[in-house]
Formats: sequence, structure tokens, C-alpha cells
Amino acid sequence: MLRPELMRRLLIAAPKGQIDAVIATLYKHNAYHIEDFVAESEAAVPVKIGMPRPGASDAASALIKIRAIENACGIDPDEVEIKQKIPAAKVRSIIERDLPALQHEVEELLAKRSRLEANQKESEQRARELEPFAAIPLDMEMYHGYERFSVLVGHIPKDIQIAVPHEKYFSDKVAGNIVVVIVQSSDREAVERTLLDAGFQAVPIPEETGSPQSRIDHYTKEVKQLEGEISDINRRIQDVKDRHGETLVACDELLTADVERAEAPLRFATTEETFVTEGWVPADGVEKVKEELVRAAGGKIYITEMEIENLNDVPVEYQNPSFAKPSQMLMDLYSRPKYTEVDPTLMVSIVFPLFFGLILGDVGYGLILLLLTFGLRKFFKAGEGRQLLISLRNASIASIGFGILFSEFFGFALPWEPIIYSRHLNIGGHASEHGAQVAELLIVSIWIGILHISLGRVLGIVNARKMYHGKHATKAMLANAGWLGTMWGILLMIWSLYAIPLMPDLTGLPMIAMGLNLAAVIGVVLLLGGIVAIAQENALEVVEIPTIISHVLSYARLTAVGLSSVAIALVINYIAIGMMIEPQLEEITVVGVLIIIVGILVFLLGHALNTALGILGGGLNSIRLHYVEFFTKFYKGGGKKYDPFGMEQKFTEE
Amino acid sequence: MVDFGTAELTLEMIQASQVGLKAVGAGLAVGLTGIGTGVAEMGIGAAAVGATAENKDMFGLALLFTVIPETIVIFGLVVALLLLF
Repeated sequence: MLRPELMRRLLIAAPKGQIDAVIATLYKHNAYHIEDFVAESEAAVPVKIGMPRPGASDAASALIKIRAIENACGIDPDEVEIKQKIPAAKVRSIIERDLPALQHEVEELLAKRSRLEANQKESEQRARELEPFAAIPLDMEMYHGYERFSVLVGHIPKDIQIAVPHEKYFSDKVAGNIVVVIVQSSDREAVERTLLDAGFQAVPIPEETGSPQSRIDHYTKEVKQLEGEISDINRRIQDVKDRHGETLVACDELLTADVERAEAPLRFATTEETFVTEGWVPADGVEKVKEELVRAAGGKIYITEMEIENLNDVPVEYQNPSFAKPSQMLMDLYSRPKYTEVDPTLMVSIVFPLFFGLILGDVGYGLILLLLTFGLRKFFKAGEGRQLLISLRNASIASIGFGILFSEFFGFALPWEPIIYSRHLNIGGHASEHGAQVAELLIVSIWIGILHISLGRVLGIVNARKMYHGKHATKAMLANAGWLGTMWGILLMIWSLYAIPLMPDLTGLPMIAMGLNLAAVIGVVLLLGGIVAIAQENALEVVEIPTIISHVLSYARLTAVGLSSVAIALVINYIAIGMMIEPQLEEITVVGVLIIIVGILVFLLGHALNTALGILGGGLNSIRLHYVEFFTKFYKGGGKKYDPFGMEQKFTEE
Repeated sequence: MVDFGTAELTLEMIQASQVGLKAVGAGLAVGLTGIGTGVAEMGIGAAAVGATAENKDMFGLALLFTVIPETIVIFGLVVALLLLF
């Protein structure tokens, strides 16, 4: 909690004969993060990168085949339901026995489909080319085969006169009009010039016989027939997917594991007779991994724990209680924490839903979002999408909670007065007695900002202590304390000058000097001390001091964005119900019923839009407060992701 | 029409015009800051879409960068709310 998992650095060395056993054991444990070996040219002992195990290329090419079939059939391993794990031995025999036939079948289907599709395209093209000719009462064989005549066909803006002897057909029944001119070949150039001057665009004459319309009908029929055949093949491909989908993903998984295992030596260092690998294992799993390795290698192995030289090299794995795990996605989106710093995932997982709820505090919208997250669970079975969904679910529960406190349901009041401050704006004359307590809400959100930023600065001090050493650490800690002092100094000065509701009123304290009272003097001291503390680390940082005010005020969005969403809801209700539905209900007429239907539509569409806006506004603004206002105070990020060598078997079992 | 030169201004009229001016001020606060945010988000949004087209993993970060200038309009909204309520 609040820090990444402790890691140990292991060095494993063994004779080459044990390499398969060692790799298999490491892979099974799925805990060893391999540190890739980089060959150095000046090493005393000739050490080289290892060679892949025999069978690597076979497994890789089989895997490519499987992936190709999966691709063709549209199988996505993430979307396949896990019914039953298939034993690895069975999968291997399937790969040996059935895979070639299946591959042949799918390849044949695909080839046939692309051939049919090409034919279909060609027929469509022919029909399109013939289309203009259907407007001219000539058979297709009349267009070519002349010795002394030339045939000119093309689009033209309008019919024109031609001076030389000719035969001409014109039709405006097709798009762009069509003109056919038959002239003696000796006149061709002159006629062409006349036509081009009139905006003539030649079209190619298809090599066909018979009447154009009958040819078009012929091609259309062919296209239809091909379409039928293609959908037949698609059905057969779907059939392959249904029959073999599960086996295919199982083969995929097994072969992926085979390839990863076979290629592992590429990340090891090897000599003539031995191999060496370095890597990371979570501290609580070290002993078990060591034991298993010794047993697997029959004692012919040397394992030692190495000292960690550079803490930035340590891979980072989150260590959070299960309810906070989905928030890791929000952290990874920004940056993974460094190994040495405080991991704020736990705080994010608590504060993010609260902020979201404060912004979108409405039982109705919260319920819609909750149902949405449950509905979408089918589409996001694992990974980041799922984590985001769970984060949103928690946020929607917070939203419902705050909705009860604010007494809001799609902008309507629930049958009780708001338990905390009211957000019922006076729109359309339907406000409750008190109206919205905007000022109070804004001050509460500013308080949240002050506390959140103070927490950030305190974490900054902790981080400076953990991450830096000696003088640098002291300086960084002092600077963070300086920021904290500056902020509270400014606050004390404001409080001593103005009495603000819900904030301490320090205006009545005894005056000390220059019209400043006790609190103001303390404030000035804190402010000046703070500035000095900031400047001693980096003088340029002083220009950032105004951000103290803008960052604190930025938390006003918790109220402002929330109120804007309330205002939209109230306006929708007022337009739909107050202006359209209620007046018509008094005296029902035919037009009135229509207006009521429109009113209902406005109501539904409006609230749908407001839900979307609310999710976007609530989600983005609350995560933004974390990223921009909170994290910038202490968080560095940029840790290396812990990526253990191994795999969680979903479809197969050894 | 009321001739302000000669007609007496009643207290109600003054109050009503004050409320109206407040509403104008609130409108200006949201509208002008909205333009400011829009101008700021214009460049960021274009770059963000470009970055996302190059690399889909950028989407989350790009969305975040795009909403950073939102603060300006939120300050406008806060001012408007304080004026109105």
C-alpha cells in the first residue's frame, strides 16, 4: 500500500544442459522479470547472447498460421468465452493432426472469396460502363467494326449541331447527358474539336454485343449471384469459427507460450557451457522461486541475490488492496510510479469517485451510468476497458450517494430537502424555498482544493526524503515545505482581511503593526519564508507562485461543472414539461397530443445528452484535478513496468 | 416608450435594470471565457488528434491535454454563478 511491491534482484547461472528446465520453471511461476542481457564488447570472458531453443521456428510458423486463421475468421482471443480448459497434450495433438487440414480449408475459402469479390467488382464495373448506352436506341455491335467511320461517344452539357455529314443520337435521360456521333473518319478531327469546345467528355465504348439494357441486366444478375455465393462462403467461415474457435485460441495460447519459452535464451548471457540471467522477483516470492529452480535443475544451479545498484532500474508492480486495483489504469494513463516514490493509487481510488459524485450528484444520472457499466461488462472482459468500467461503476455509486444528499433526480427534487447544500437553481420558477447555495458550495470546493493540495505537498516532502540523498533531499524537502507555507501564508492574510463564510474569521484579532493583525503577520512571515525556501532550490520556481491561487481556485470546478449540469437538467425539464406538456394537458387537442409527443422527445434527448455531458464532464474534470493539480505537487512517475516472464493460462492446462 | 429625460425612474425600474445588467455580465463572463478556452483548445485539439492518429495509446493523455484550458471557462462559470445567485 502506498508504495510499489518490493523487488529482489536475482542472478541465475547454470550449465546449458539445464536451460530447458530452468526456463520451464520460471515460465510456470510467472514472477521473474527478465533483465535483457546486453553484450559488452570489452568483456573479459567471451559472453554471447544465447541461441533460441530448437523448435522455436517451427512453433513460430505454426503460430503465424493460427493467427492467420483467427484473423480470417474474426476470432479475438479476448472475446472468446472460457468454457473449459483443454489439456496441453490434446492441444498439441490437434496442432499436429488437424491444423494443416483446417488451414487448407480456410485458405481455400479465403482464396475463393477474394476471387468471387474480384469478379463481382468487374461485373459491377461493366454494368456501370454500359449504363449511359442504355439511353441510346442502338445495339452494342453498332458501335465498332467500321473502316471508314468513327464513333464518338461521351457526356456533353447540351445537344449541339455538327456541320459535316453525320449521324447523331442525344439523350438527357442519363446523368451528364450522352451524345453519340458517327462521322466519316476524315472529318473526325474537326468534329472532335467542335465537341470538345462544347464541353464533351469521351467515354470508352465497351466491347459488347446485343442491346445495352439486356447486357446490364445480365451483369446485374451476375453480381446478385456472386453476392449469394460470397455470403455462402462467409457462412462457411462463420461455421469454422463456431466449430473451431475454442480450439484455435487454445492452440494460439499454447504456441505463444512455446515461442516465448524457446526464445527466452535470446535474453540470457551464455558461454560455451553455461548460461547466466539476471532479473527481478517480488520479495515475497523469492524463496519459492529459488527452491523450485534448485529442484528443477537437480541442484546444478547457482542462484544469488544481488544488491540493487540503481533504483530506477527496478521494475514497478502495484501493490494495492483489491478495491483500488481498477484505479491503476488511471495511474498508468498518466505514468507508472517510480520504484522509490509514494504510489498514490489508493488515494486516487478513493478521491476520484468522490469528486465525480460531487460533480454529477444526481440519483437519475447515477443510475443510468450504473446500468450502463453493467451493460457494457459483456464487451470488456479484461484489461484496461474493464478497469475503466469498474472505476466508472464506483463513480456512479458515489454519484447516487451525492444525489441523495443533494436531493436530485434528473434535476427534480426528491421528496426530502437537500441534506447538504442545495443545488436547486431557480430556473422556471420551480426552485425550493432556499434556492441554490452557490457561494457555500464554492467555498466547500475551495476547501477541498486547499486540503488536497496540502496533502500533495506533504507527499512531496515524503517523496523528496525517499528519492533523493543528502543535500539534494534537504533542499527538495524545504522547497515543498516552502510551497505549503506560501499557500497557507496567503490564506492567513486573506482571512485576516476578509470574513468569508465557512472559513475562519481572523479579522477580529489584535492589530500588531502597519494595520496588520496577528494572523496577517504570521501569514506574511509564512509567505516570505516560503518564497525563500522555494528560491533556495531553484530561483526560477518563484514565477510559479501565482499557480498556488489558480490551482486552488481550479477546484471550484467541482461546484461549477456540477451546477452547469443541474442547470441543463432544469432547463430541459422546464422546456419539456413546463412549456410543452403541462399546458397541453389542460385541454387535450390533436395538435396538443403532437406537442406532448415532441415534449417527451425533448425530455428524453435532452437528458440523454446531459448524461453524456455529465459522464464526460464529471470524469474528465475529476481526473484532471488529480493529474494537473494534485500530481504536479509530488508525483514523478516514469517507472518501468513489471512484466514477468510467463503467462496466465486461460484456455489450456499443462 | 419611457422618456428617461423627463420620466421619474422608479425603484423597481432601477432594480430590474440592475438584475438585467448582472445577467449581461454573467453572460459575458461565460461567453468570453468560452471563446478563450476554445482558442486555446483549438491548437491542442488538433495536435492531440494528430498524435492519437499516430499512436492510439495517446488517446487518454491527448484527451487530458485537450481539457486543460477548460479551467478558463470554469473560472468564467464561477464568476457567472456568483453574479447570478
